[in-house]
Amino acid sequence: MAALTGKERVMKMFQKEPIDRMPCFSGQGTVTVQAIEKMGTQFSKIHNDAELMAGAALTSARLWDLDGLVIPFDMAAVAEAMGRGVSLYDAAEGIIYPTVPNKWRDLDEISVPEDFMSKGRMPIIDDAFKILKKDAPDLAIGAWVLGPFTFGGQIMELDILLKGLKKKKEQTEAFLSQMTKVTIDLCKHYESLGVDFICVREMGSGTDLLSPRMWKTLIGPNLKLVFDAISVPSINHICGSTDMIIEMMHECGADALSVDQKNNLVETREKVGNDVLLLGNFDPYGTLTTMEDTAEVADVIKKCIDDGVDSVWPGCDIWPDVKKENMETYVQTVKEYGAKASPAVKRI
Amino acid sequence: MATKEELLEELIEAVVEYEEEDCVEAAQKVLDNPDVITPMEGVLDGLAAGMEKVGVLFDTHEYFVPEVLMCADALYAGLDILRPHIEKDDSASKASVVLGSVQGDVHDIGKNLVKMMFDIAGWDVYDLGRDVPLEDFVEKQLDTGSDVLAMSAMMTTTMLGMKKVIAMVKEKNPDCLIMLGGAPLTRDVANLFGADGYAESAGNAVSEGIKMIGNLRKYEKGEIA
Ligand code: B12
Repeated sequence: MAALTGKERVMKMFQKEPIDRMPCFSGQGTVTVQAIEKMGTQFSKIHNDAELMAGAALTSARLWDLDGLVIPFDMAAVAEAMGRGVSLYDAAEGIIYPTVPNKWRDLDEISVPEDFMSKGRMPIIDDAFKILKKDAPDLAIGAWVLGPFTFGGQIMELDILLKGLKKKKEQTEAFLSQMTKVTIDLCKHYESLGVDFICVREMGSGTDLLSPRMWKTLIGPNLKLVFDAISVPSINHICGSTDMIIEMMHECGADALSVDQKNNLVETREKVGNDVLLLGNFDPYGTLTTMEDTAEVADVIKKCIDDGVDSVWPGCDIWPDVKKENMETYVQTVKEYGAKASPAVKRI
Repeated sequence: MATKEELLEELIEAVVEYEEEDCVEAAQKVLDNPDVITPMEGVLDGLAAGMEKVGVLFDTHEYFVPEVLMCADALYAGLDILRPHIEKDDSASKASVVLGSVQGDVHDIGKNLVKMMFDIAGWDVYDLGRDVPLEDFVEKQLDTGSDVLAMSAMMTTTMLGMKKVIAMVKEKNPDCLIMLGGAPLTRDVANLFGADGYAESAGNAVSEGIKMIGNLRKYEKGEIA
């Protein structure tokens, strides 16, 4: 039997069909400096040009032999398209992710332009997906979006939004409903471009910030609407503290759950059962960028597998400045140690 | 007539229950009762004491960040009323701090809580906000001649910018005291970067600042090497 392509491996995993080995990919950025150097470009340029965006994602995936890839790389594009500006840090040394400089200060000020999907860098992202569909038919091509709450925090000041959750409950709820609609529209748009999976990152909603009770009333229901609307495989990703909300995350109806290193995965597996796709949960910076010894890297990856993930995912974007040997060890360990079946996915 | 304890209790409760208007009223009552209580006592034993309680509620997961932010708003409402009436006391000579989140970092919730603690303590606070270009820290510190420069970073990567700022500031003004904070930092990292102080939480930031200034003064007087 011919080996599976990366895309087949990933798609079968999402269907919980038997595969040859654990897929190695992520729904969070996997672009690395080695790929950017190979292309002769810079980190600050790959957000603003379709060829470079697609190229950086694809070159990274090929360089490390990943099964999938994901664009865009930053979380500012939609806010920018809504007129909030963007800081790309062209002149700064090192890697700095784009950020949003002019958030709305008040719920009353917010007016979401109808045509945001054709503004700012949105068309560039569309073109990058088209290039990838053409150049990488063998890889799973993913999109990621922010969850409604975290997205809200990109277009208006997060502290005001957080206080609004308590003080201006109705108005804030209406705003979150509006953000949910935007999120759904965006997911539908990415689906129309032919993406293979969508990762929804409600990263500002862990219990580092919100109480489980608030999560239940204000975050969960909106996420459920989003996952109900997505028809390609979907992932519900939250970084930070998730132990207290993991069961509610599960109830939102995504095809897979993804958590970071703060989650107690063994307990999570017990709570949600063996039938649920779990992705996670290593610290990308602390593992791939800083570890001095590849044996340590292998241990981290093996622990994720032993703890019961169905695919080893970094808890956040891979920090682009990875050590080559660490990245190689990560991928190699997933392939070898992930040869055996995982809780929700059998092997061929 | 209200007793001091009652007045303080009202301030504490207004902060803990995040009732801005009650806090304004309670602060006003403090001003109306100069025989019983000073504005300074209102700030330290009322507002700050309330915030201390909030810290405990946060640590025990009873409060989360939204509640803490609202408590901070209530505290500021009271502080705005009391502070103009606090007598300038030269012996405690007013300390000053330049503060911000470093370039590339838009995390500012923690930084704002640190700012609040300096405000409560009566320092002159120059808040540069978030995503602050590294040179701006240097410029503002030189402009204001602040005692302390405090920087916040929440990402392991933006944290590296702090080291550059420290080198730039120390070159131009070796006496400036630098304090670092934010989740990825530790005292060891702060030392390694050449900072003079570090605080793990907002609660410790001011006392660390005072300690740093104290040390510098002793050093200048030749008491420590
Ligand atoms: C809220 C949040 C956000 C919000 C920020 C909104 C805002 N206005 O602040 C949003 C959603 C925008 C965001 C975005 C991102 N985030 Co974020 N975010 C968080 C989160 C969940 C909570 C941070 C927080 O506010 N905590 C509450 C406050 C009260 O605590 P605190 O900040 O630690 O502050 C206290 C102390 O540290 C200290 N302190 C802080 N500053 C200072 C300064 C001084 C001088 C002193 C003395 C003390 C001090 O006192 C404070 C009070 O006690 C953390 C996870 C976590 N648990 O920390 C991730 C986290 C910080 N984010 C992270 C990342 C990676 C990102 C993104 C890159 C995500 C992405 N992939 O795009 C972006 C980047 C944005 C940018 N360029 O800055 C990572 C950082 C990892 C790392 N080590 O590098 C974290 C740790 C999440 C994770 N597990 O991966 N994020």
